[in-house]
Amino acid sequence: MKLKNLLTLFLAVCLTLSLAACGAKTDAPADTSGGSAPSGSGDAPSGNEGDAVTLGMIGPLTGSLAVYGTHIEKGVQLAIKEINATGGVSLSDGAHPLAVETKDDQGDSTECVNAMNALISDGIQLVVGSATSGCTSAITSVANSEGTVMITPSGTADSLTTAMDYVFRTCFRDSFQGELAAQYAKDEGYTKVGIVYCSADTYSAGLRDAFTAACGDKGLEIVAEESVASMTEVDYTNQFNKMVSAGAELVFTPFYYDVMGPYLVPQARSVGFTGVLLGADGVDNTETTIPDGADLSVYNNVYFVNHYSTELASSGVSADFVASYEAEYGETPNNFDALAYDAVYVYKAAMEACGASDATSVQAALADTSAVYDTTCGTFSFDETGTPIKDGVLMGYAYHDGDAGVTKITVKAVSLS
Amino acid sequence: MNTFIQFLITGLRLGSVYALIALGYTMVYGIIKLINFAHGDFIMVGGYALFFCIPVMLGLGLPGWLAVVPAIVICACVGMLVELLAYRPVRKTGNSLTCLITAIAMSFVLENLAQAIPAIGPDPKVPYTLFAETVSIGGVSVSYATIITVVVSAVIMAALYGFTQKTRIGCAMRCVAEDKAAATLMGINVNHTILLTFGIGAGLAAVAALMYVAQYPKVFTTMGATLGIYAFVAAVLGGIGSLPGAVLGGLVIGVVQSGANTYICSSMSDTFVYLILIVVLMIRPAGILGKNVGEKV
Amino acid sequence: MKQNTYRRRYLINFAALLALFAAAVVIGMIGGSTVKLKLTPSIWQCSYLIIMAASLNLVLGFLGQLSLGHCGFMAVGAYAAALFSLALQRAGFYTEKAGPAFFLVLVGSILIAGLAAALLGLLVGIPALRLKGDYLAIITLGFGMIIVNIINNLPFCGQQGLGQGSASSALYATGLGFSNDEKMRYLWVSVLAVILCMTVMFLFVRSKYGRCIRAIRDNEIAASASGIHVSYYKVLTFTLSAFFAGITGALYACCNGALSTSSFAFTNGSILNSVFIVVMVVVGGMGSLTGSVIAAVVLFLLNYTIKNGGWVAALPAFLQNIFTYPMLVYSIALIIVILFRPRGIMGSREFALCDVPKWPGWIRTHFTSRADSAGKGADTHA
Repeated sequence: MKLKNLLTLFLAVCLTLSLAACGAKTDAPADTSGGSAPSGSGDAPSGNEGDAVTLGMIGPLTGSLAVYGTHIEKGVQLAIKEINATGGVSLSDGAHPLAVETKDDQGDSTECVNAMNALISDGIQLVVGSATSGCTSAITSVANSEGTVMITPSGTADSLTTAMDYVFRTCFRDSFQGELAAQYAKDEGYTKVGIVYCSADTYSAGLRDAFTAACGDKGLEIVAEESVASMTEVDYTNQFNKMVSAGAELVFTPFYYDVMGPYLVPQARSVGFTGVLLGADGVDNTETTIPDGADLSVYNNVYFVNHYSTELASSGVSADFVASYEAEYGETPNNFDALAYDAVYVYKAAMEACGASDATSVQAALADTSAVYDTTCGTFSFDETGTPIKDGVLMGYAYHDGDAGVTKITVKAVSLS
Repeated sequence: MNTFIQFLITGLRLGSVYALIALGYTMVYGIIKLINFAHGDFIMVGGYALFFCIPVMLGLGLPGWLAVVPAIVICACVGMLVELLAYRPVRKTGNSLTCLITAIAMSFVLENLAQAIPAIGPDPKVPYTLFAETVSIGGVSVSYATIITVVVSAVIMAALYGFTQKTRIGCAMRCVAEDKAAATLMGINVNHTILLTFGIGAGLAAVAALMYVAQYPKVFTTMGATLGIYAFVAAVLGGIGSLPGAVLGGLVIGVVQSGANTYICSSMSDTFVYLILIVVLMIRPAGILGKNVGEKV
Repeated sequence: MKQNTYRRRYLINFAALLALFAAAVVIGMIGGSTVKLKLTPSIWQCSYLIIMAASLNLVLGFLGQLSLGHCGFMAVGAYAAALFSLALQRAGFYTEKAGPAFFLVLVGSILIAGLAAALLGLLVGIPALRLKGDYLAIITLGFGMIIVNIINNLPFCGQQGLGQGSASSALYATGLGFSNDEKMRYLWVSVLAVILCMTVMFLFVRSKYGRCIRAIRDNEIAASASGIHVSYYKVLTFTLSAFFAGITGALYACCNGALSTSSFAFTNGSILNSVFIVVMVVVGGMGSLTGSVIAAVVLFLLNYTIKNGGWVAALPAFLQNIFTYPMLVYSIALIIVILFRPRGIMGSREFALCDVPKWPGWIRTHFTSRADSAGKGADTHA
């Protein structure tokens, strides 16, 4: 009896392990958790010529938010691969290759703090992470009190970065994006706007707060405001039915592309909402989540504020990034990829500016607000809190009868007036 | 008036999906009294099976919904595999709570395995649109998918009812549900019956997945968690183990959710769903259609 | 004679607890990088997991009622403690996180957290405990969901308030949220909280009340026929359990500067959720408080070292790939434990220091008897 149990168990474990083993990524050249990571805790990681400078990366690689973390990881690894292929980072004592030590926070703040502490005790002084504002806010104080530099690629909550500290980001601030959206609504002459957002999500609620405040300043009337319980909500018809009956001409929808494509846009149109759906950078990549065989005309009049547009870009950085990303992974990059990729290049620029890779020097270099970074998401420099000062671009989707699919269009560059 | 019809239709749309999921759930629960947390993940398996099979079917010139056939087979296999590898050994040695924990563990195994498979990965996938046509009722458009889901739920409910009441295997299932030891004495192979139940329950999950993706076309690896909880709530609300109860429970939840969205506060709809559940259980402790079995002394 | 044995047992346990507490104080004073970055946060996390698992064991193991919403009480405790400390800070009661004033606030918020959760436990328990079995499970699940949903929508403590928006860094800087250094300084508080809570729970289950609730677990009708007021004892246990869950909430708020309701959900990506607390109780052994302690520590260590331990790097490459999915390893380990120890690590027995000297003999008899039975099994098969 016991033997049979053992056998069954053994088979089960074998099956699972083999499945997972064949499934798990085999190409992780930059993932050096053992060998090249500096072992001492506290000493500067760049000792000799040629020693790798190890960055830390924290993100939700598994669990329900895994999609954000895995994209951040892809962006970071692509950047490191490119940098190493071109000779690494040139510091004052010669060129050093980059490496990364990746930690999974599973989208939970406790795990995120554990991961941050573990990275610090491994001697890592430069960290990229984490994905969500919730997790990031749990580690900002660790970064500040332990003196570890941190660049979050996608933590947008206003409160994350404060003056003179170790926390920076490559994305927009919520309040900035919300204000840009309101600016666009005012420029286009809309007077009655509605909001559909998620009250339980920081990104969505933060943008909603900023948009509401900006609407108040700009004299736009918010005729209806509805919320959903979670970012994975499937049904938005009742909310949009109210938008229609309240007569909203434009509805602000701070959601991610994974609900915009399959759920929100078609459902909004199905209850007769024909006005503009205006989102933020999370809406980018909606074209990848439109079901085949769906009515594509519903995606007209969907606009969003975004970081960059390859059409308007003055430099070739973002076009090059898109090309090399597609060559590397065989899919189009999204904003998480781009912002994480930028974070690594911002570190590189800062390290080269100060010629060192320890936290204090890099922090001082990053805190220099005159430094200009040319990234995939536009050219920017940091403000005194560590948030990029950059302009937004208004983009949207267009479909005409007979087109093969929905095309992403660049409407115009927007900035605060 | 328009708002009212819209609210009803949205409720029906959500509720019919919950009802279909709850049918498979209550089927398994009725036989082995196990809160099968992995049932939601069977839906996920079905969803991915459909995502990969629909293009194949269309490529063969067949209607897309026929992909449900391979999906049923895949889901049933996964369901039986889970029963064979995890539940059966644990059932032999443990009690109902250890089975519950195995179910939780299996749910995590399925979710994480799906993420580990490169073709699936953590990125959400959007399956091909099915049953997209709409009809207009009182100025509100209703998609065929909603109507078909309701019809399918009713048909499956009737078929399952007939199956458990009339066929030999169905009788065997009811026997096992009542008393495993006595069923063994009557010459019923309890393990085979339970295995079959898991196969049917998981196969139903594939059908539910078809109707789910027809209305809400997105599959992702953790989609099962929320759906599983709603199925659990629907099954208990209707009276656990009762097939018509599962459908009724699902519909009630859908309508309550939609009503709370429309008339009360849209971000608090979950609160009202659980409040209704609590109120119903306070008044009828065995659910709406459940039989209240007195305790034997 | 018997009296004497008991006294000796209590003395030994008291000495052990005292030693534990002293160790915590010493560790907190020694400091150092590893202690600060790895040991201290781990002890804090273990401390709230231990109390959480043990408090659920009161309901699940001793009273025999399955509750799937235990983290809801923890959420209430965490938010109550955080709001209380923040309010006092804004009122100017304390300015820095040191000194007697802050210590008062710390103790006060832990107690307030417990009381708030206990009050809610009472409110939930009175209607919910009329049901039993899976119906009770789903009702507690429902209450847990409602609590989280309501907290999400309260303007002063939802996601925009304490959770993540602007006030979270304020909570960290001024309220209960501890930095690594403060966690080390107040390490003894968490250990003391564990010792006190566990002692109270032990005394409770060994008392007249404990015997009553075990009688209810074993046979409710017989218990009721013997004159035990079933509803009263059920609600009492449930409330007490909620009280301790609230205290863990306060410890959680200290340990994590930012609160978000997703941490207290029914299930989520990590190991702190209502479902995994049930797992800890069952793995530890229902009806064994020391079992809960062991299970909480073991499961925490498993989860922690999968991600941050050095041993993963020593494994062959294909196994390392699997360990990139910590939950997968965790769940498989869980199934293995359940298969081989279906009644949990400790069963319903308690770990006692006095029994340690008896272990060699016990192990010998246990293994010889098992070998005997195995031999018999082989015989019958042959």
